[in-house]
Amino acid sequence: MARAVRSGTRVDTVLLVACCAMALLATVLPLNLREAIAAGLRRTVVAPLLSLQQQAERGRSAFLSREATTGRLDSVSLRNMQLAKLEAENERLRALLGLGRQLEWGFVSAEALRSRGIGEDNTVTLTVGSRAGVESKTPVIAPEGLVGMVLTVDPSSSIAILWTHTDFAASAMSADRSAYGIIYPHLSESGRGEDTPPERYLLELRGVAFRSALKPGTAIVTSGLGGVYPAGIPIGTVLGELRTSEGWARTYLVRPAVRPPDVSNVIVLLPRKTHDPSLDRVWRSTISADSAARRIAAAGDSLARRAATDSVRSVEAAAARLAGDSAARATPRPDTSRTGASRPPAPPSAQPVPARPTPVRADTGRPPATRRPDAADGARP
Amino acid sequence: MTWTRSARAVLAFALLVLLHYTVRPLLGWRTPVDFLVIAVLLSAVRVRPGAAALIGFLTGLVADSLTPSAFGAGALAMTAVGATASWLKAVFFADNVVLHGFFFFVGKWAFDIVYVTAERRMHGVELATQLLLWSPLSAALTALTGVILLLMLRPVLEPQAV
Repeated sequence: MARAVRSGTRVDTVLLVACCAMALLATVLPLNLREAIAAGLRRTVVAPLLSLQQQAERGRSAFLSREATTGRLDSVSLRNMQLAKLEAENERLRALLGLGRQLEWGFVSAEALRSRGIGEDNTVTLTVGSRAGVESKTPVIAPEGLVGMVLTVDPSSSIAILWTHTDFAASAMSADRSAYGIIYPHLSESGRGEDTPPERYLLELRGVAFRSALKPGTAIVTSGLGGVYPAGIPIGTVLGELRTSEGWARTYLVRPAVRPPDVSNVIVLLPRKTHDPSLDRVWRSTISADSAARRIAAAGDSLARRAATDSVRSVEAAAARLAGDSAARATPRPDTSRTGASRPPAPPSAQPVPARPTPVRADTGRPPATRRPDAADGARP
Repeated sequence: MTWTRSARAVLAFALLVLLHYTVRPLLGWRTPVDFLVIAVLLSAVRVRPGAAALIGFLTGLVADSLTPSAFGAGALAMTAVGATASWLKAVFFADNVVLHGFFFFVGKWAFDIVYVTAERRMHGVELATQLLLWSPLSAALTALTGVILLLMLRPVLEPQAV
C-alpha cells in the first residue's frame, strides 16, 4: 500500500516536473516555432473554440454599434427622402438650362419665392428686378410652359402673378391654330361633372368660336395677340368642354402645363424678347407641348453631357501631357537636327493639348533656358 | 472516481471551456472572468496532482495558442495552479462557500502572477498595476462567478463525494 502511494506520488511529481519543463521550454522557443505550434493548435483543437469566440466578439460588436448603426440608418433614410426632391429639382434646373439654351438671349433666370400668407398663394416673388432688365407685364415661363406675368418691379426683385390669379388672362389658341380664345383660371373647384373629382389647378379657355370644337388632349398655346405673351408658349391641354349659358361660344377646361406648386425656378422674358418672332420656334417646332418639354429637357441633358465630356477630355489631355512629360524625362531624345531622323508622331490623345504655362525657376524667377523642340526640327520658319 | 462521475466532471469542464470562449468575449470587461481557471480548479480537486498538472498544462497550451507571443506562459501558470490546487484540495474543499470563493480568488491571482511573470512583457508601474489592481479585481470576479457556478453545478459535480 505504502509502495503504491509512493509510486503514485512519484508519478505525480514526474508529471508535474515534465509539464513545467515543457511549459518553460515553450516560453523560450523561437518565435517562428512557437507560432507554428500555436497555428497547428488553432487549426485543429482550438478551431471550434476560436470560431465560437469570433462569433461572440462579433455579437458584442454588433450590440455595441447598434445605436450608431441605427443613427446611420436614420441619416441615410433621411437623405434618401431628400434625394427624390433633389433629383426633381435637378431635373427641373436642367430643363431650365435647356430652355435657356433654346431661347439664346433676352431672358433672365430667377428663383420664385412663394409666400405662405393668406391670399398670397397666387403670387411669387422673383429674385430679379429692374436692374436685370425686368419690366412690368413681362411673361414668366418655365420649361413646361407659361407660369404668369410680372406685376410689380423693384430694383432687385419683382412680384409676379401666377396663372391661378384672378387677374390673369392670356390670349390663347390651339397648337394647330384652328381655335382661338382667352385663357382664364378656373376658379370653381366643382370639377367637370359628377364622375370626375374636383381639381384645384385648372384653366378655362373661353370665347372659342362655336364652330371650333376641340378634342380632349389638344395642346393650347399663347397666341401672341394680346401683346404681353409672345406666341407659342404652352399653356396646357384640353380636358373637355364646360357647359355654359353662352350659346355663341364654347368654353373648354384646360389642364395647365405648369403646376404652381412645382414653380421654383423660372425664366423672365425681357421685353425685347417678347417681340422676337423666333421665340415661337422654341416650342412650335414640335407637335405637342409635352414633346417640346422633353426636347428642352434633352437639351439640358446634352449640355450636362457636353460639360462632362469637356471635363473628361481636359483630364485626358492633362494625363497625356503628364505621361509625355514623364516619358520625355525618362528617355533623352536624340538630337534629330543633327542626325536628320524624323521624330515619331505625337500620340492622338496628346495632340489637342493646349499650350502649357512656361515653368518658372524657383531660384531666379525666370523660365529655364530650354530649346523648343520644333525649332530644333526646323519646323518654324 | 466512477465512470459516471468522471463523465460529469468532463461535461462540467467542457461547459466551462465553452463559457470561456463565448461569455467572456461577449462581456468584454476590463477585468474578465476566467472560466478556464475555474474549470482547471474544479478538475484539479477531483484528480491526483500529476493529472491536475497535465490538465492545467493542456488547458494553458490551448489558451496560449491564441496568444503566440506569450506561448507557454499560460501553460506554466495553469500547471502550477492545477497541481497546487490538487495538493491543497483537502484544505480548501470543505463544503464552505466562502472557502470556495477564496480558493478561486487565490487560484486566479496566482495564475495571473505566474502568467505575467513568465510572459515578461510588463515592467514597472504597468506590472504593479496589473498584479495589484486588475488581477485582484479579475480574481474577485472570477471567484464570485466560480461560487455561483459551483452552486449551480453542484448536482452534477457532487464535490462532497470526492
